[in-house]
This record gives sequence, C-alpha cells and structure tokens, in this order.
Amino acid sequence: MNYELIEQLRSQYGANGLPYAIPIHPNLVHLTLGLFIIGIAFDVVGVLFPLEKSVFKFLAIPATRTNFFDVGWYNMLASAIITFFTVATGFYEIMLAYPINGIKSAWGLGALETMLWHGVGGVVLLTLIVGMTVWRGFQRYLWRSDRARQVQWSYLAVGFLIMFLMFLHGTLGAHMAGEFGVHNTAGNLLRLGKDPNVFLN
Amino acid sequence: MLENLLPPLNEHNLPYPDTIHPIVVHFVIAMVLFAFLCDVIGYFTKNHRLYEVSWWNMFFATISIFIAIIFGQIEAGLSLAYYAAQPVLNLHTLLGWSLSGIVAGITGWRYVIRLQDPQKLPFAYLIAGLLLTLLVLYQVYLGDNLVWVYGLHTVPVVEAIKEGTLQ
Repeated sequence: MNYELIEQLRSQYGANGLPYAIPIHPNLVHLTLGLFIIGIAFDVVGVLFPLEKSVFKFLAIPATRTNFFDVGWYNMLASAIITFFTVATGFYEIMLAYPINGIKSAWGLGALETMLWHGVGGVVLLTLIVGMTVWRGFQRYLWRSDRARQVQWSYLAVGFLIMFLMFLHGTLGAHMAGEFGVHNTAGNLLRLGKDPNVFLN
Repeated sequence: MLENLLPPLNEHNLPYPDTIHPIVVHFVIAMVLFAFLCDVIGYFTKNHRLYEVSWWNMFFATISIFIAIIFGQIEAGLSLAYYAAQPVLNLHTLLGWSLSGIVAGITGWRYVIRLQDPQKLPFAYLIAGLLLTLLVLYQVYLGDNLVWVYGLHTVPVVEAIKEGTLQ
C-alpha cells in the first residue's frame, strides 16, 4: 500500500495499527477452518458408517447415517457464509499491515511476498469453499438425495486437498503474525523502543 | 525439566515450527458457537434435524477441548510470559480447564436429553448454551490478548525476552 496513506491513518490508530484492540480476521478464521474441516470429517463418518455401526453401538450412542450427512452439509454451508467475512476483514487488516522489513520467514519468503500470497490464497480458498458448498448441495438435494451414501468419494478427496491448501495458507498467516509481527501490539511497542510491561500493564 | 524432554527450541521458543494450540481451538470455538446457533434456529423453526447437527458438533468439541488444553499447557509453559502478560495467562489457563469440565458436562447433559427424545430440547439447555457461548467468547478474547496484544511466542517478543530487555 501507499506508505503515506497508511501513515495518515496510523496516527489515528492504536499501537497495533488498527482502530480496535484485537484483529478480527484471525478470529473468523477459527470459524472458517473449524466448520470446513469438521464438515468434511462428518461426511467421512457418514460414508464409512457401515464400518462404525458397531462402535457407536458399543459406546451406546444412537447414530443415524443421515444425521452425519446433515452435519456435513450444514457445517459446510456455514463455513461458506462466514468465509466472506473472513476474507473481507482479512483484506481490511492486510491493507493496514506494517510488517517488519528485511527478514525472511521460515519458508524463505519476505514480508510482502507472504502478504501477497496470503491475500491471493484467501480469495482462492473462498472460491473453493463456495464451490464445495454448491457441489455438496447438488449431491444432497438433486443427484444423490435418494441414496444411502449421500456424498461422492471425489468430494471428500477434494475436501482433503483443500485442507492441505488451508495448511499452507494458514502457515503464511501465522508467519505474518508470529514472524513479521503484523498488528502485534507488544511487537510494535518494542519496535518503537517502548517497554510492553509499562504500556500493557 | 520440560526442556530436557523436548527437541531444541526455535525462535518462537517452540519445539515445533509454529504454535499448535490456536489451531486446535478452531474445533472448540467453531463447534460450540455453531452448535448454539443450530439449537437456537432449530428451537424457533422446529427443525429438529439441526438438534442432531448441534449434538455432533458438541461431541466433537468435547474431544477437541482436551487436546487444546494439552497443547495449551505445553505452549503456556514455554511462553516466557513476561510480567504484564502473566495475569492474563493465568486467567486463560484457569478458564480453559474450567471450560473442559463445562463443555463435557453440557455434552453429557445433551446426551441424556437426546437419549430421551431427540426431537425435544428443554429451554434450560438453551440458556446453558448461551452461557457457554459467552464463556467461550471471553476465553477467545483472553487468548487473543495473549497473542495479539502481548505477543507471546512471536519472534520479536521472544527475542526481547531472551535478550533480557523484556522480563
């Protein structure tokens, strides 16, 4: 971003470079990832249900196959809805980012490269999550609505592939926070030569 | 003692590349909040299918919270929490352990409710779900403070502590 523009805003913002105390994007990430991964996980449980029947019986937990597919569907739907906000807040906060310069992350990337890939990756993942939700909806309501196994194997396979992308993407985000010190109050205080023990007590 | 059992620590003061606790808590935060949302929508729209979605999400949250605590304790122990961060870390630890009991208890209650009649949810359970949601949000706020305000396990803060400029 334009350095002067950011500087104009920064004078009005807190030590973390934001107009509020705690970044919002990392919190919405909990919801995006949790809902997506557990959505896929319960579809796996639904698909492998014949193998698990005896386990649930042994544990005295009543379980119906269609309920697992309900969890798979509703969790994926919720993940798609929330992720629009995850990406929106992410772009707001990445545009106000003021990373430590001149260092490389554990993956050998600089601050700007890390931020650019994380920004692009976010839009790609949003597209993939929405695509998965549409695909899942077609399986649930049209293609396989009368089948005992509601979900295609290929859907689960793509789901795991997306989880791997999420791991790569999330690690870039972790580098921004943990290594480049983006939006970190104590880190920024230290950069300004101030003692966090004095200012954060 | 812990230092002798773990591999060498990196610049985050961790024996592995990045913090794991904030990842595991995805599966507590998202599942508890979504379970409550499903209960509320299910209760008012009488869509009982959502009760099942809620129950299985709580089931998973209960398993996850104990894994979250294990990694939370490891990372808290290695956090080099400086003076100003200590009260927040103490409260986060106390509430985290309490939440393991509360989440397990509420899931147990839900198991009994579901066993009796999976189509019915007493209003009292919704209240419990609301209180749990508030506690989880407060716990997230405390954890956010540890990471984003106090910067525990972030390289600049760990560096300053190891250099002795921050204690």
